[in-house]
Amino acid sequence: MRRSILWTLLRREWMEMIRNRLLVSTILVPPLILTVAPILLAAAVGERALPAELASQVLAQRPEWAGFTAGELAGAFAVQQFLVFFLLMPAYIPLSIATFSIIGEKQARSLEPVLAAPIRTVELLAGKAIAALVPGVLAGLVTYVIFVLLASVVYGPNLFGVVTDPSWLAGVFLLGPAVGLLSVVAGVIVSARVNDPRVAQQIGGVIIVPVIGIVLVQATGAVLVGALGYLVLATLILLVALVGLRIGVRLFDREAILTRWR
Amino acid sequence: MRPVTAQISLADPGAASSSAAPPKPLALRAVGLGRRFGDRWAVRHIDLDVQRGEVLGLLGPNGAGKTTTVRMLTALIEPSEGTAAVDGLDVVAQADEVRARVGILTETPGLYDKLSATANLDFFGRLHGLSADVRSARIERYLRLFGLWDRRDDVAGTFSKGMKQKLAIARALLHDPSVVFLDEPTAALDPEAAFVVREAIEELRRAGRTIVLATHNLDEADRLCDRIAFVRGGLLRVDSPAALRGGMGSRRLVVRLAGAGLVSDAVRDAIAVAAGVSLADITASDGALQIPARDPESVAPAVVRAIVGAGGDIVEVHVERTSLEQVYFEVMGVRPGAGGEAA
Repeated sequence: MRRSILWTLLRREWMEMIRNRLLVSTILVPPLILTVAPILLAAAVGERALPAELASQVLAQRPEWAGFTAGELAGAFAVQQFLVFFLLMPAYIPLSIATFSIIGEKQARSLEPVLAAPIRTVELLAGKAIAALVPGVLAGLVTYVIFVLLASVVYGPNLFGVVTDPSWLAGVFLLGPAVGLLSVVAGVIVSARVNDPRVAQQIGGVIIVPVIGIVLVQATGAVLVGALGYLVLATLILLVALVGLRIGVRLFDREAILTRWR
Repeated sequence: MRPVTAQISLADPGAASSSAAPPKPLALRAVGLGRRFGDRWAVRHIDLDVQRGEVLGLLGPNGAGKTTTVRMLTALIEPSEGTAAVDGLDVVAQADEVRARVGILTETPGLYDKLSATANLDFFGRLHGLSADVRSARIERYLRLFGLWDRRDDVAGTFSKGMKQKLAIARALLHDPSVVFLDEPTAALDPEAAFVVREAIEELRRAGRTIVLATHNLDEADRLCDRIAFVRGGLLRVDSPAALRGGMGSRRLVVRLAGAGLVSDAVRDAIAVAAGVSLADITASDGALQIPARDPESVAPAVVRAIVGAGGDIVEVHVERTSLEQVYFEVMGVRPGAGGEAA
């Protein structure tokens, strides 16, 4: 893998990306919402308390919240749900970028001149994957950092402690990038077979289903995934992504692109 | 649309001179080249030698295997049988090196529509490892050559088809390739754009570039190519346009007389004697007599003298050349208008 070639590919991908208004808005708008929404939600919850049964379920999952006031406990439970939304960014942004990029090149027939250059297909695949992965993962991380900075001002020390505890750190810094990689792999595989970015995103969007599943399970209060849970999930998703990557490499073969991609 | 600026030299100061004394080295060689997709052979038995500075046309109908042949020769896909080499480098074993030495204009320009003309070329210059100085100089040279310099900062998506095609040709030349492959360079272009692109190719030819031109445009092949290879699932015939014409079809002397259609028997007899043909061989069409001859130029003076001597009034005399179209139909085994191949 030659770094100069990789950088050339990334530079070109990102130059095109910033000229695609739809794609840019897809990348920028949700992080803005996600930064503000948990802050507003905590304010909306105010001093309201959780139902007693739910409160006991939550405390069973998070005994470290035992010292919280009833309002803080309700706020912590509400804010906890937002961790999953920070995982959605690395899930859908790389998917959008990868599908736009690959299907866009299929439609413009611009891959053949690139493949005619002295470039290896693994470099081309790596270029596409990194170009898609980095903005998604960065969006998740930057949004989280901004959210934490806002939280440090708006939230009290207990609530601030919730959004910076090991489960959040494991979710944002481990599971997020793993989900991002899986998203890229899904984008590559689906884009090789589909000719419409929207269709590709809908099919590739299946990978978001497990993330939504986590939201639903956590919303019941029966299970609040902890740091270890996120670590296990990240490992599993990484393994699935690596298997998918092998399929992606085969689909990204020079001959397959030229003769079978239509 | 700006005309091609013919005065600008294509010779690269840093590149090897193309004016080497004969015999010219081979730029390209293919031996028994073939490619199969599943059970179907797209093309096979391709044997070709292309000398440096030569323009070779690959002529054939749609689906004849021209693009597959070009893709094998540019190391884009591997052959199923046979071998090929560019500058002596094997297209399979040394694929990366081959790709560095060839430039290709694909069937569609395949440009990045959201990037400027300069950014499109700069990207490919970087992929080919050109330094910033060389990239900058060559981008300017080719954009000026193809009349695109004033539009260098405009995104390619705003260009006309002809401009996109010229930009794609510039992209194919940017790294100073040893062999340039042009796949259907004027397909889907309007006559004006096609003219501009053909002029650009003509300029490359004058600059001594080795070019392989895949086309189904007979006139284009006739005008631009030193040799033409007829391809239809395999290599049917390869020769210069003149040799193809000479070896195929029939040549005729066409004489138009005053009072068309009313040619006296005396004049017909005189023509038959002078041309050494029978009366039955002389046919009339559109008020002109058509006289078959192996060498029409040499019999023309005698025929003219015979007609005048027999009292005929000549309006026009010309030698009818066998058209490349006739050669094409003969080589392809196609009867025009019959809707398919001849028996």
